[in-house]
Amino acid sequence: MTSDMILPFYQALTEDVNALSAQVPSLAPDTLHDIRREALDRFTALGLPTLKTEAWRYTNIQRYLKEFPYELLTTATPVAAEAIDKAAIPELDCYRIVLVNGHLQADQSALPVGKGITVGAMSAHTDAPGFVTYFNKQHHLVNESLATLNTALFADGLYIELAANTVIDKPVHIVNVYTCERHAFIQPRHLWVLNKNTTATIIESSVHPETTAVAFANSVLETVIAENAELWHYNVQQGEESFREVHTTAAQQHNNSRYHHFNFTLPNTPFTRNNLTVALNGSHTETNLNGLYIANKSQHVDNHTFMDHIKPDCHSNELYKGVLLDNANGVFTGRILVHQEAQKTNAFQQNNNLLLGSKADINSQPQLEIYADDVKCSHGFTAGQFSEESMFYLRSRGIGEDAAKALMVNAFSHDITEAVKVPALQHYLQVQIAEIMNN
Amino acid sequence: MVNSNEIIDDIANKEYEFGFSTDIEMDMAPPGLNEDIIRLISAKKNEPEWLLEWRLKGFAAFKKMQFPKWQHFEMPVIDLQSLCYYAAPRKKKQLNSLDEVDPELLATFAKLGIPLNEQKALSGVAVDAVFDSVSVATTFKGKLKEMGVIFCSFGEAVQEYPDLVKKYLGSVVPHSDNIFAALNAAVFSDGSFVYIPKGVRCPMELSTYFRINAQNTGQFERTLIIADDNSHVSYLEGCTAPMRDENQLHAAVVELVAMEHAEIKYSTVQNWYPGDKDGKGGIYNFVTKRGICKGNASKISWTQVETGSAITWKYPSVILQGDYSEGEFYSVAVVRNKQIADTGTKIHHIGKGTKSRIISKGISAGRGDNSYRGLVSVGPRADNARNFTQCDSLLIGNQCGSHTFPYIESRNKTAMIEHEATTSKIGEDQIFYLNQRGIDSEKAVALIVNGYVKEVLNQLPMEFAVEAQKLLSITLEGSVG
Repeated sequence: MTSDMILPFYQALTEDVNALSAQVPSLAPDTLHDIRREALDRFTALGLPTLKTEAWRYTNIQRYLKEFPYELLTTATPVAAEAIDKAAIPELDCYRIVLVNGHLQADQSALPVGKGITVGAMSAHTDAPGFVTYFNKQHHLVNESLATLNTALFADGLYIELAANTVIDKPVHIVNVYTCERHAFIQPRHLWVLNKNTTATIIESSVHPETTAVAFANSVLETVIAENAELWHYNVQQGEESFREVHTTAAQQHNNSRYHHFNFTLPNTPFTRNNLTVALNGSHTETNLNGLYIANKSQHVDNHTFMDHIKPDCHSNELYKGVLLDNANGVFTGRILVHQEAQKTNAFQQNNNLLLGSKADINSQPQLEIYADDVKCSHGFTAGQFSEESMFYLRSRGIGEDAAKALMVNAFSHDITEAVKVPALQHYLQVQIAEIMNN
Repeated sequence: MVNSNEIIDDIANKEYEFGFSTDIEMDMAPPGLNEDIIRLISAKKNEPEWLLEWRLKGFAAFKKMQFPKWQHFEMPVIDLQSLCYYAAPRKKKQLNSLDEVDPELLATFAKLGIPLNEQKALSGVAVDAVFDSVSVATTFKGKLKEMGVIFCSFGEAVQEYPDLVKKYLGSVVPHSDNIFAALNAAVFSDGSFVYIPKGVRCPMELSTYFRINAQNTGQFERTLIIADDNSHVSYLEGCTAPMRDENQLHAAVVELVAMEHAEIKYSTVQNWYPGDKDGKGGIYNFVTKRGICKGNASKISWTQVETGSAITWKYPSVILQGDYSEGEFYSVAVVRNKQIADTGTKIHHIGKGTKSRIISKGISAGRGDNSYRGLVSVGPRADNARNFTQCDSLLIGNQCGSHTFPYIESRNKTAMIEHEATTSKIGEDQIFYLNQRGIDSEKAVALIVNGYVKEVLNQLPMEFAVEAQKLLSITLEGSVG
């Protein structure tokens, strides 16, 4: 933080967002200037979402933005290795990449190397072919006001590009560290481009070292999965009480590509909103969206997903499961849009919720919007409790009530965790879930 | 049961069969919407002061509102000032029996197959027929009166049972509920009124038949049904309109009140003129229907078969206020050509142990657009509430759309909510199976569709079920290539 004359952030957002842009270091003036300008205008036109905005009807974002006097933070300070180790996944053989407030810490990272693999800071790759072709090209980002805010004001992020026919041999683990001395609004921006015939496994997690200052991250990730490429993407959200997050992922898939997305939202972060859009720009694709949210206290977890079936012969499968403890609020919106051209679409979606806290609640909007006739689409929703029979069965075998509950939650989340293809991560998540339930 | 083959043969080349208009002397108010018109309507109907005031309150609310924007279709431009808000067959004097009804009018109802004539007593249905805005005849009044059941036109109820009307009017759908309800509150002309006293099981089906006839009119009727403790009533509603090139607005309000242990079953077979192949003309059916289960263990059940109207836009809802009360919604909505349906239900679980069940079957053909939009909300007091929702959509042809927009809100951890929705087309294997057995494709589709909607049609009283089935076949005629 360099300047003392910063406008109160919320006021600037609503009244004079242009003033904020002066605080952002310019990445590459020529290429980005117009994009940022346009995004700012778009943000001004859209404004912040309110409860009347259909996509935000159950999440009052303004409340969370007003909660603390945030300042826009575009720089990073070094972080001790111990803090980063907190996010380590035991026994995971991986390339670990450390980002502090979106800025790549090369000396603390092990970058994958090899022919055709490009991994580096966004700021250093604004002239890369993938960046020029794909940066901010997805129309879904243009209609989401927080994403336009990110486009206009982001400082840096991680750029990954795999040239055709490359494979990264080990999973890449990206540790997003958020650190600030005063309450800060931080906007990382990432772009991953998987060209033809490539495969990668990428795990994201975030750390906000114990501090009294609150960090609000508004991150945007764009991924491109070209022909025959396959991306395994895991996002582990395991924050602290002093962290809030709006996480936007916009993926696009081309012919015969496969995208496996996993989102784990674990307790403590008071506010998490995940926007996930997948645009199927090619045929014969496969998409698996998996989500597990376990929320406690007054946590508010909002998962907003959008499967955009543009081309024919695609297959999508979406499963989101939630466990809501204490006073937690869960929100799920799953929109499946099948365009008229997208014949032979197979789209499946399910959202199951366990309401365990006496004041927990869930708001769900599974939506099907279909303009093609030769399709099979379905969605399902349930909200309820443990079945009494199952509880009785376990208790009659000498298992205490809490242990029985933990066992049932473990079983409930099994559908998601078993699909995790990285054994160390799978084990780590199972341990985390057991620990949450045992406390 | 009527053989579905016969039906299809029967209606070959037949389009909207109720599209005739009746040339009858009408008493029309000048077009336009203002306080004077409201006062005129009120005066024509000889209404008490409180009702006029209520209308004016509705009008004041209406003026403050704007048309909603959230619906899944483009809102047509409706010039409310060019409509006539009062059109009635010219009355020469108070009618005492059917003999005195204009023969032209009776002929119209005969064409529609409405058993107005009491000689058709065998069919056992009491009918209140509403022609344009005015109730023209109510049958079986005497017989019902013996049991204490009040079944009459709304206007009559205002004159004869003002206390009941005053108590319940607007208690479920307030005058400021939404823009169409507010408009209705301001200008409603007539409708039906039903009161079932304590402990009475209404001995016959009650039925209203709505007919829009005059040009440039809107139909704004209001139905109020009150079922007192331990009573039971089954109510049917049917509608038709002549074929006209202009769109006509139908903005009705239906309010149901079920007291302790009472049960109301409300069935609708809606067949307003849907417009022609290119979407020209047709009725805008923007109706507010809501019931409240006030007493414990009461039950309200909505069944609707929607085949007509250019745009159908309604959400028959149930407020489950009493403990252990129950709400049901069964719906079949069919769209073809350029028809639009945005329909569904809202169920509010407020009381303990409340139950609801929603079965919605949508069928889209041609260039039709069909949306299910529904809300299931469970409040913090609604311990052990239970909901089951199933929405299925069937697509016939690749130019139609079918959408599902459910909203599910649960604030109670003991509640059990289930929702499922599917969309698909009729399987080629199913058609092949029937083809193999000598049933041609069109008949096969009719058969499959009949099976598909059976769960809903089973809820209708028998005479209506047959009619609804016939209607479905007609509607889908020609949509299979």
